[in-house]
Amino acid sequence: MERIVNSLRVRLIGVVLVILAALVPPLYLGVSAIVREGYAERFVNSLRAYSRLIADELEALDESDFDRHAVGVLDSAVLSGQVVFAEIRDGSRTLHSSIATPSVNAPPRDDFHFGDQGDKTYFITHTVNRADHSVALRLGFDEVPTREQIAAAERRVLLAMAAFVATSIAVAVWLSWVIARPMVRLQEAAQRVASGDTHAQLDVGSSIREVQEFNYHLEHMRRELVGANEHLSREIREREVSEQKRLDLERRLLHRERIATIGTLAGGVAHEFNNIMTPILLYSQLALEEAPADSALARDLVRVIAAAHRARSLVTRILTFSRVMDSQQPSVFPLRVPVEEALALLREIVPTNIEIVLAAPEEPLSVLGDASLVHQVVINLCTNAYEAMRGSGGRLAVTLAAVENPDEPHLRAGLYHVLQVSDTGHGMDQTVLAHIFEPFFTTREVGEGTGLGLSVVHGIVSSLGGVITVRSAVGSGTTFSVYLPAAAAAATPATAASVEA
Amino acid sequence: MANILVVDDEVEVGEEVRRVLERAGYTVTVTNNATAALDAAAREPPDVVITDVIMPKVHGVQLITTLRERYPGMRVIAISGGGSFGPLAYKPDAISTHAYLAAAREAGAEVILTKPFDLTDLLAAVRRLLPN
Repeated sequence: MERIVNSLRVRLIGVVLVILAALVPPLYLGVSAIVREGYAERFVNSLRAYSRLIADELEALDESDFDRHAVGVLDSAVLSGQVVFAEIRDGSRTLHSSIATPSVNAPPRDDFHFGDQGDKTYFITHTVNRADHSVALRLGFDEVPTREQIAAAERRVLLAMAAFVATSIAVAVWLSWVIARPMVRLQEAAQRVASGDTHAQLDVGSSIREVQEFNYHLEHMRRELVGANEHLSREIREREVSEQKRLDLERRLLHRERIATIGTLAGGVAHEFNNIMTPILLYSQLALEEAPADSALARDLVRVIAAAHRARSLVTRILTFSRVMDSQQPSVFPLRVPVEEALALLREIVPTNIEIVLAAPEEPLSVLGDASLVHQVVINLCTNAYEAMRGSGGRLAVTLAAVENPDEPHLRAGLYHVLQVSDTGHGMDQTVLAHIFEPFFTTREVGEGTGLGLSVVHGIVSSLGGVITVRSAVGSGTTFSVYLPAAAAAATPATAASVEA
Repeated sequence: MANILVVDDEVEVGEEVRRVLERAGYTVTVTNNATAALDAAAREPPDVVITDVIMPKVHGVQLITTLRERYPGMRVIAISGGGSFGPLAYKPDAISTHAYLAAAREAGAEVILTKPFDLTDLLAAVRRLLPN
């Protein structure tokens, strides 16, 4: 940028120089010509007048002794100083001044202009009328003094021109400096801001209006820049904080999910396991009763029974663990309570391009069971829903309703409280739908999900005495409907949970 | 000798309990579902009924209620699988065992045994419930 400013100065001066170069020479030549012509004209005019004077003088001479008197006149003309050649031609006879040097080159022609013939002498011929005939008077005048005058005048003109040029250049230099200096300062200040020192104020204190305005706008821009910078930094920090929060919540959610999965698996496995343990324990104990006391057989069986007892207590501990980690005693609760809690958690982690809506009636819609299980169901279903809409955004709608005698297979007649979770995601085709509740079935990449989410949901819904159904179409979205037997305030589990095929 | 009715949808369990009880000298009838159990009870009223709680079709709690209605004072021992969430895909009509056991107790089961139970516990429970 230094270069640009420099060239501004250079340009200004250059322009002035060009103008001067274009104007001054013709001006000088013009003025010189005028001066010269003025001098020449004056010279010629005066010479002409003088020759007329001499001619008149000669005409006034007496005819007698004309020659002698004529020479006298010629001599006086030469002596006056201007004349360097004087002659009277009378036919073939010539009379010269006795003083004038005949060596002066006297061409036969007359001069019409100053400087003619290049001989530094101006020749004039004048007719002199005598008594009976005319004679020619020829005078030669020295051009040199006039030439010297002309030269001096030209020098003066030259000097004036030079002074003019010098002054113009000086003014141009000063002007360019005056204009360029505030620009240099502004440019320096702008450079400072650009290199990071955004807090250096810009003020070049110039009196030129355009520069002042430029200064003002530049300063304004700088302030905006500083403000924008701070705003951005703040936003970045806030984003980082909320990103951290989101990651934390996701971790916690994943952890919960794993715990719940373990719990549900443990529950399912435990049941089967306990059934298997029953014959192991009972038959070992029977065999022990029939074994001879103190026999090796008896001792071996004692060990088997001890191991079976340990297995039993292990399963109990696992179940207790999963119960403690995850569930409470079954009770009657309004369906919306765990649903709202789950949605509150989800709102924190679901990206903003997914809209979450809950539609629930005024009535509590009570069900019997473990509220944290319903919480788990909502989390799992909503997680699947938002995964289906990740990237494209969409709507996740959770609806609660009471349905009398729902038109679903596997459901007895009666009042049910329904939880529906719908998404506007990519949907699933028939082949996927067929396997959707199977444990370890997943359409996700390895490491992205255990494939247990929906099987857990299915298990929980079953354990609550309900049924889960799914409707889906590729491209339009999916709806899961969880039907749970409605609980009256003080219903016993038996009436709430009886199911007949 | 006392007559004991055993109801469990798992055949294995029924046989195990029969072995233990017959060895202790009781007469045992084993059925696999509530309906058969009620029929057997009608034919020959048992002294004690040992029933699994979670069964398909009519579950144990219902059976207990019906038995107590028909035979007031009937002595019932309820046995359960012990898993708290119930099975998953293969027994879809089960709810929390917890709730079932509580319901069973409400319905009139005097003793609850959770599998796997000790032979001695089973015999002790039967002995306790019998009049002598």
